[in-house]
Amino acid sequence: MKFFKAILSLLIVAGLVYVLNRSWGPVPALGSFLSPFTGFWQNGENPVPDKKQIVLKVSGLKDDVIVRFDDTGVPHIFAKNDYDLFFAQGYITAKDRLWQMELQVRAASGRLSEVLGPATLTLDQKSRRLGMGYGAEANLKLSMSDKRSEKALTGYTAGVNAYIGQLAPRDLPVEYKLLGYRPEVWKPINTMYMLEQMTLMLAGRSNDLSISNVLKKYGQEVVNNLFPDYPMLQESPIIPAGTKWDFPKLPIPVKNPLKTSDSIAIQVSNTKPFLANSHVLPPAEHKPEGIGSNNWAVGAEKSITGYPILANDPHLELTIPSIWYQVQLHTPEMNVYGVSLPGIPSVIIGFNQNVAWGVTNVDADVFDLYKIKFKDSTHTQYWHDNQWKTTRKREELIYVKGQKEPVKEDIVYTHHGPVTDTDKPESGTPNLAIRWIGHEPGNSFLTFYELNKAKSYGDYRKALTYYVGPAQNFIFADNGKNIAITVNGKFPLKYKDQGKFLLDGTDRMDDWQGWIPAEQNPFVKNPPRGFVSSANQSSTDPTYPYYINWLFAPSERGIRINERLTAMSKVNADSLRMLQNDNFSVMARTILPKLLSVLRNSALSPTQKAAEITLSDWKYQNNPESIPAAIFETWMPLLQESIWNDEFNSDNQAMKYPSRDRTMYMILNQPNEKWFDNIKTSQKETMPDVVLSSFKASLDSLQKWHGKMSPDWQWFNVKGTEIRHLSRSLKPFNAPLIKTGGGAGIVNAITKRNGPSWRMVVELGPVPKAYGIYPGGQSGNPGSPYYMNLLKKWENGELNELIFLSSPDQQHPRMTASGITFKKN
Amino acid sequence: MNILLIVIVTAVLQYFGPWWTVVLAPFLILLWRPATTSFRSFATGFLAIALLWLAYGLYLHIRSEGAMSNRIAEIFSLPNGILLLAVTSFVGGLLGGFAALSGYFTKKAMP
Repeated sequence: MKFFKAILSLLIVAGLVYVLNRSWGPVPALGSFLSPFTGFWQNGENPVPDKKQIVLKVSGLKDDVIVRFDDTGVPHIFAKNDYDLFFAQGYITAKDRLWQMELQVRAASGRLSEVLGPATLTLDQKSRRLGMGYGAEANLKLSMSDKRSEKALTGYTAGVNAYIGQLAPRDLPVEYKLLGYRPEVWKPINTMYMLEQMTLMLAGRSNDLSISNVLKKYGQEVVNNLFPDYPMLQESPIIPAGTKWDFPKLPIPVKNPLKTSDSIAIQVSNTKPFLANSHVLPPAEHKPEGIGSNNWAVGAEKSITGYPILANDPHLELTIPSIWYQVQLHTPEMNVYGVSLPGIPSVIIGFNQNVAWGVTNVDADVFDLYKIKFKDSTHTQYWHDNQWKTTRKREELIYVKGQKEPVKEDIVYTHHGPVTDTDKPESGTPNLAIRWIGHEPGNSFLTFYELNKAKSYGDYRKALTYYVGPAQNFIFADNGKNIAITVNGKFPLKYKDQGKFLLDGTDRMDDWQGWIPAEQNPFVKNPPRGFVSSANQSSTDPTYPYYINWLFAPSERGIRINERLTAMSKVNADSLRMLQNDNFSVMARTILPKLLSVLRNSALSPTQKAAEITLSDWKYQNNPESIPAAIFETWMPLLQESIWNDEFNSDNQAMKYPSRDRTMYMILNQPNEKWFDNIKTSQKETMPDVVLSSFKASLDSLQKWHGKMSPDWQWFNVKGTEIRHLSRSLKPFNAPLIKTGGGAGIVNAITKRNGPSWRMVVELGPVPKAYGIYPGGQSGNPGSPYYMNLLKKWENGELNELIFLSSPDQQHPRMTASGITFKKN
Repeated sequence: MNILLIVIVTAVLQYFGPWWTVVLAPFLILLWRPATTSFRSFATGFLAIALLWLAYGLYLHIRSEGAMSNRIAEIFSLPNGILLLAVTSFVGGLLGGFAALSGYFTKKAMP
């Protein structure tokens, strides 16, 4: 009996330890998770940050590095050479954002399932099939062969690993504790994966299939009519119309004159479930409007300071922690401040003593699909240029948590790229190759590295030549009072509209035929209008000799920015901040008077009449409290859908819809077009019918979700902007509800999930004065006082002054006493 | 006295070692200095560990103003970090209690 009791109680202890030492489904191993000595309790930080000086001995450094923190937690790093500098940047970034860095690399490289299990397998397969690793490996080779990038990558890598190496289990970011894994060793290729991920996000999709389906169904004439290569209604291109292209043009490739469109097949279904083992990519998601950006720079004569002022706000998915990380980097050769991307050394958008720069996305056509003709089902040979050519195979092994054997896939590569898409999903085998800029070997990192050090316009132009993709509108201003913008990236030299439709993988003349020379990329320096700007709209007017794309982001933001900048004088940082927060709707100004004239001639219920009056009194401002803004924003998508759904929405073939610009042109100028008729009804609908029915539907929809017209209809509430934690599932880590105006097509481009992920304004001059903010904070730790400390100011449209120190011992009232000194060993 | 001993030894073990070292001190100390009854043994271990986890957890909770604990509580559908702290100390207490009980019974079983 004595023994029995002893053994039984010991078994209970062992059982308890066993149960608490392992995870159960989504529940983490509770023993270490709950223990205050190792668990999440350790991740709560003192809201008044400790003011302490930490000294760390590090081997491998050539000199000492000093890091000081300001009162928003931004690190200011002072080093004597590049290696040490990037070591410290890696260490400090990991200290604040380790889980984010690693998660993003895992997502890019298709290795999420290794730690998260089968739930993320399809995501991983997508990354693998797209050849993210293929691109990253090619880029790494080039990057390691250049001294500058090699130093930066090895330094940064050593820094991240030095941080990981000293982490005790209790210090792990709370996400690791919740999800039950540990950070792994950082590698230089991770930076390449981060760059690939940016290329994927900004230049990783195409309309080729959906527009080819329109062509197949409605013919060339309808495509030309509804999908023009330049906006029909309104545009204000990035490079001002009329800019001269004074360079010797390269001969432009020609389309094979024998080509018919017969080779183009209709994609039979994209509603079929994605076959996990078919090697076929899932149907591409459309890039949501709201992923884009604004930037502009006003020249010295327009500014009150007598020097240029530059502004940039990149619009990306708003997450917390922010995709950006503020940092100042200082060596004897450079002194730069701005935002970096965790995982990539250097500053991506920022300024130094002499220059400032920023970026917006170009939307170039650099993702093309080629129809491949294989000899047989082994896919070892394919027909190209009148001969059978041999494919290569790339083995992808995806390890999945909880499964012994990795999921293995052999991806077939032609000279175009990986064959992973299909226009016949029911066959289950891919027959479309992807030619994508993300596979083009390059060392785009050097562009940022050289911009960080740039002193002049010449340095800027030289830095841009290293860039491959994702193509960006690089805006620039310097102390020499120059302003400039370059539509920059490695652009394939194509015949007009090459890649608008599915391309023929057997025809040599459909291959990319070389590149637009970097110096012939569209650019403008010190234009007569006194400012430069971009908002993802058409790069140039139709006189530019080369094809970049047939469709760019809608023009409204660009139009508004250019109107405002033309009208403004004596500009200062604050007036540009106001422009970043501008809520004016060019769309409403363009179309609403016409729509209201229809409503006034129609019989309306009292509610509808009230809404019509509200809209009539509206000044086209998408302010947070505006009810008419909410009505208009609900109405517009419904109006477009009710015009096009009957002809373009189909269960068995994904078809591209005509653009907003084309739709508004038709409403304003072609009210008798047949497209207004709903072909699914026996009556013949006209433009006013569609306007009226969609108006009623939008009010019904608002009523359904928000009750009768009341303050609940305020735009911020209807829009419901939310900033989610990067996991997208740990709700308590999300930002609280926020109240903002703006919207898609508005300069203040805050939609439900996307928006200005960083707002920056830089006044150049003898001492640059800069301002910036992102929604979130420096720290990725939800238990840190720096997790969301900048959110409120961002929500209010305010900016923080960015503290730009000139030396490690410069005094500044906002610098704190805390810091880290890395001592060489 | 045993409670104090367990608290001190466990605090040191937990600070340097993994979480499961929490069962070592209650077991060994009750093996060495058993209480008069099995119930008292269990109570000693339970109170010692529950108190230790409660005190340290409360310190971390208050110092951070619940910045992390309140959020984690929400993930586990608890109203606030204090309740999560109660759960935490109860789990710690169970571990300590059964470990102490094992120490007591093992001593009894020894010749």
